[in-house]
Amino acid sequence: MSTVVVLAPIIIANWPVITAAVGAAVGTMGFAMVRKEEAVTQRAATKTREEIQVDNSEILASSTGAEEEIVVEREGVRAIFTRDARGALRVCMEGTGQSKSELRRLGQELIDRVTQQYVYHRVVTELKARNMTIVDEELSEDRTVKIRVRSW
Amino acid sequence: MAKEELEIEISPSGKVTARTIGIKGPRCLDLADLLARIVGHEESRTLTNEYYETEQHVADHLQIHQRQY
Repeated sequence: MSTVVVLAPIIIANWPVITAAVGAAVGTMGFAMVRKEEAVTQRAATKTREEIQVDNSEILASSTGAEEEIVVEREGVRAIFTRDARGALRVCMEGTGQSKSELRRLGQELIDRVTQQYVYHRVVTELKARNMTIVDEELSEDRTVKIRVRSW
Repeated sequence: MAKEELEIEISPSGKVTARTIGIKGPRCLDLADLLARIVGHEESRTLTNEYYETEQHVADHLQIHQRQY
């Protein structure tokens, strides 16, 4: 080996890219997307809420000005992904039988999965655009994604 | 010719560890720079022995070249 570099991800993306990453990530944790109408009607019954702002994220504003929100749910726990006033990604966790710390832990796990999906997609897309070839790819038991790339 | 590859690990939280394999000299730094631009903030970078191999080869070559004169 000649160089080892460690990188912390920064999410800079528009809403469709975030939507794709959320969609791919939450499915692996058993969450399902909630339609917008259902999301509005059920929110009032929620008892516990916890908000988490995603550090190192910048969600690019939509040119249409449309409200951007993704709602996912699993066994009564709901996660609402939005773009906050400063443009960062924010996740609001809602549940009826969970403590705030449980919701925070679950929310952080969701954010981690979304970040991993975003980074995976971005790395693969950018390397392929530079004519690099992925020769091997695997998902380890601890959910680390391993990719081997050649370009020469 | 030795196999030249880039090995990338994306942790469950999205942190990336990338290793160049068989790539000697500063060319491996170009790949590290490229990944840093793609992923985000660089936390650390380590150069291993292989990085210095090309420079050694160049030095050896220069010595041989100089001896010819």
